[in-house]
Amino acid sequence: MSALSQLNIIQVKGLSKTVTTVEGDLTILSDISFNVKSGDSVAVVGTSGSGKSTLLSLLAGLDQSTGGSIHLDGAALHELDEEARAALRAEKVGFVFQSFMLVQSLTALENVMLPAELAGSKDAKQQALELLEKVGLSHRVGHYPSQLSGGEQQRVAIARAFIGTPKILFADEPSANLDSKNGKLIESLLFELNKEHGTTLILVTHDEQLAQKCQQILHIEAGQLVTVKESEGVQANVG
Amino acid sequence: MWAKLALKLFSREFKRGELTVISAAIALAVLTVLTLSMVTDRIGQSIEEKSSAFIAADRVLASNHALPLEFLEKANQDNLRTAKITYFDTMLFAGEEMQLGSVKAVSNTYPLKGELKVKTSLTDQPEVTTDIPSRGEVWLSESVFYALNIKVGDKVELGAATFTASHVVAEEPDAPFNVFSSSQRILINEADIAVTEVIQPGSRVFYRQLYAGDKDNLDTFYAWLKPQMKENQRWYGVKDRQSPISNSLNRAESYLLLAGLLGIILAAVAIAVSAKRYCERQYDPVAMMKTLGGSRSMIRKIYLLHLSLVCSMSVIVGLLIGYGLQAVATNYLAQTMGTALPSASAKPWIIAISTGVICAVMFSIKPLLDLFDIPPLRVLRRNLGDRLLVSKVHLTMSALTVFLLMWLFSNNIKISAILFLSTAFLIAVLFGLSKVIFGGGRKLGLSPGNSWSLAIASIQKRANVNAVQLISFALAIKLLLFLIVLKNDMISDWQSQLPENAPNSFLVNITEQELEPITSFLAQNDMPTSDFYPVVRGRVNAVNGELVAREVSQEDNEKKDEEARSGIGRELNLTWRKDLPNQNELIDGTWFSEDSVAEASVEESMLERLDVQIGDTLTFLIGAQSFDAKITSVRKVNWTTLKPNFFIILSPDVLSSFPATYISSVNVKAEKKREFNELMRQYPTVNVIDVESFIKQIRSTIEQVSLAIGFVLAIVVACGALVLISQVQASLGERMQEIVILRTLGAKGRLIKNATLYEFLLLGVTAGLVAAIVSDIALLIVQKQMFDLAGKFHPHIWVIGPAVGGLFVACLGYLMIARTMRKNTQGLLRSLA
Repeated sequence: MSALSQLNIIQVKGLSKTVTTVEGDLTILSDISFNVKSGDSVAVVGTSGSGKSTLLSLLAGLDQSTGGSIHLDGAALHELDEEARAALRAEKVGFVFQSFMLVQSLTALENVMLPAELAGSKDAKQQALELLEKVGLSHRVGHYPSQLSGGEQQRVAIARAFIGTPKILFADEPSANLDSKNGKLIESLLFELNKEHGTTLILVTHDEQLAQKCQQILHIEAGQLVTVKESEGVQANVG
Repeated sequence: MWAKLALKLFSREFKRGELTVISAAIALAVLTVLTLSMVTDRIGQSIEEKSSAFIAADRVLASNHALPLEFLEKANQDNLRTAKITYFDTMLFAGEEMQLGSVKAVSNTYPLKGELKVKTSLTDQPEVTTDIPSRGEVWLSESVFYALNIKVGDKVELGAATFTASHVVAEEPDAPFNVFSSSQRILINEADIAVTEVIQPGSRVFYRQLYAGDKDNLDTFYAWLKPQMKENQRWYGVKDRQSPISNSLNRAESYLLLAGLLGIILAAVAIAVSAKRYCERQYDPVAMMKTLGGSRSMIRKIYLLHLSLVCSMSVIVGLLIGYGLQAVATNYLAQTMGTALPSASAKPWIIAISTGVICAVMFSIKPLLDLFDIPPLRVLRRNLGDRLLVSKVHLTMSALTVFLLMWLFSNNIKISAILFLSTAFLIAVLFGLSKVIFGGGRKLGLSPGNSWSLAIASIQKRANVNAVQLISFALAIKLLLFLIVLKNDMISDWQSQLPENAPNSFLVNITEQELEPITSFLAQNDMPTSDFYPVVRGRVNAVNGELVAREVSQEDNEKKDEEARSGIGRELNLTWRKDLPNQNELIDGTWFSEDSVAEASVEESMLERLDVQIGDTLTFLIGAQSFDAKITSVRKVNWTTLKPNFFIILSPDVLSSFPATYISSVNVKAEKKREFNELMRQYPTVNVIDVESFIKQIRSTIEQVSLAIGFVLAIVVACGALVLISQVQASLGERMQEIVILRTLGAKGRLIKNATLYEFLLLGVTAGLVAAIVSDIALLIVQKQMFDLAGKFHPHIWVIGPAVGGLFVACLGYLMIARTMRKNTQGLLRSLA
């Protein structure tokens, strides 16, 4: 592995995704190539249906590409099966979703501990408590998701995303379901933890202001990477 | 580590009530099966025990040849109790009086089952006795005392011996119901047979060996006996006899079996619905766990542990509640029936546990497999995995499971197959129908401000879900209607066989000269009779000119002619008449006309036994005279009516020249008994067979069976109600989403509640109507095929079905929604999130 690839925590080359529908094949992403350096924050923007979420799902190994390659922290994601991709996610990836996606039957603390428990960690509780304190929810550790406000639930989701100190954090419209005050709070928490933990942040958003806070912006339209806001952290090969 | 997480998730899911419905459904299946099996088992054992009294034993070996004593010795070695009975007819004399009587010579252990009741004088009350007549004593039925004009203590002559008439026989447990083979009862000790010197070569003698004991021992003995049995020997239990009792018991058993099977179908539907619902609600957590790196194997382990825990807990709860319920029920039944019920065997426990485990595993495994397949991408694409909702594999597995359970429960593949296939057919028809119903109304204009419009829109929008709901509702309502109507028909059929004025005495051997005075007396004294039938005893000697085999008494020491055509082997009671008797149904051919010459009408089983058909010629032998008659019709005879019935009826021209006696049945009320007996004393040659005690026994058995059936029905009804509840509950999640949207948009609570009420009302009415139609068709088939009842339509359930279905489903839906509606919009939004 070259020195360059070691710096690039994500390497995407000629990535495409085609699905088969009743009306024939539908190309959702076509020939996407870019690299992301470790610790950077990258916003993926575009109109609805442009392919942002599909790109995120492929980068996170939630779905499989139909062409091209993705290397995630050196691992050839496109060559791994579902089990191996799950193991990779457990070790290196954190998630924050628009709809929080907390397990309703678990408390805030247990939700934060869940990824560590799934990875077999035995001392997740302390770390989870610390993270909840960082997101300002130390007084809500024993509450169930249904007992928390939307903002609080998303803060729990952020704490969950950072447990196990993932190398990459994927966030899908993390503030879209929240009011502006809570939205800002979540955004600042994300960036704060991103810096503090040196985590690479890949953020899908409609919000231009939020995107501007990232070091790089990938603009996707009709399944193609059309523009890149250049910065010193990104080397993009557009089209 | 995974186990700790699994247990934590399980306890939380349980506390949140996510597992309540599936647990309740499994527990319901277990308790239904346990309660039904146990109640059926215990009542069945009790009824069979009591019914055994009708043959005074558990099993009887009968023959018209003496039976080997080694059979009894072997039975005793097999821990069975045994007794012997010998029957023969003879004349009884007392001074100048004489009477033809039926001697029943019994061994010391008679009866093995049931009670013999005697009176020490004609005016005393009957008392149970465990004795039999001592040597030199005869016990006679009351009518014999009147016929001979004697009292208790007088001497009578029987063959070459003189006996003291020491007791009046009031009730024999095994009183015969064949009026021709019975006459006035003369009970003697078997040791006295020889001194009477009545049995001579050529005498007609019937032998019985009675056996009683554990079923296993009886089976062991029969396995030994069967290979040695001769053609003239017959082994039977109480259920094998053609009598109102055996018919009632067989029908009751079929009904309880059917009710149990339908209960299992209902419980299975409840489990299938709730298991699917539970798994669907786990789609998001599983997708999330996979996204966070949970491996497929870990998720599999977590949920399989959940299934094991739910299954174990529910089975235990089901067993405990089921045991409690059956204890309450059987205790009540035991009190009502006035008898202690025997303990249940291990079988109900085994069946109940197997049912719980099979239901839990088979109905959960496919939804669970679908759950394991949920892609992690669902966290981003929320509808991913929904396509797994309807699966042919799941449907097939569920269907096979239901069939397996039915087979396990009934141990009867034929009944299971009939019920299973008819239910599958019903579901297919309902599914097609629901597509038409829900697809057909889309043109209707919808106004969001109107509850009815909203309800119709809602039904149409959820066409597929509603189709499933309609099928579940209709299935539950259909099964319930089916059982209720069948129960009522069965019980009313039993009651119609034994109406209040059912004949309680048979008059046999009335001569031509006695006919007129007896009929006038009976008519004048308000003693209703059946028709008077002329009777001539004769044999079927040949079929189409070919001689049939003869069966002879043992003393003739002749071998049956093995080469000859199979015959009846005994004399038959032949009658003639112009009209078809009431309780007979012509199933083939034509009934006699005015011009009929030498024609015969044969009962269907006799047709089979003689291996003849319409057009064949039968040669009859009466005394030394023979004549031919051509078979022109076949009859189905209801043998359970207390009226004279005949295997062969001839056209009037052939028999009217033969000397005949007459037979009829009569209803004699208690207050008229004395006049009746006085009349009969004037005609000593007329045999009076009192079947009052027999009728009492039938009535008492029918009451017990009806009670048991009513109880079983109540359990199945509860089961059906729970299916409806689980189905309504299953649709609640989706409805919540709609309610939230409508509430958020400002819809009034009343509008939403009414819309829900109307939606469920429409579903319930439709389901009820379809269920009523299908039930009625199914009833028509089952009544004829399984219960030998006259099939008929039941127009009233076409009204009751939709009315009750609509009312119940609407109330249920309304109550559940009303509870949800008590929350404010914010609360609703949160609970939805």
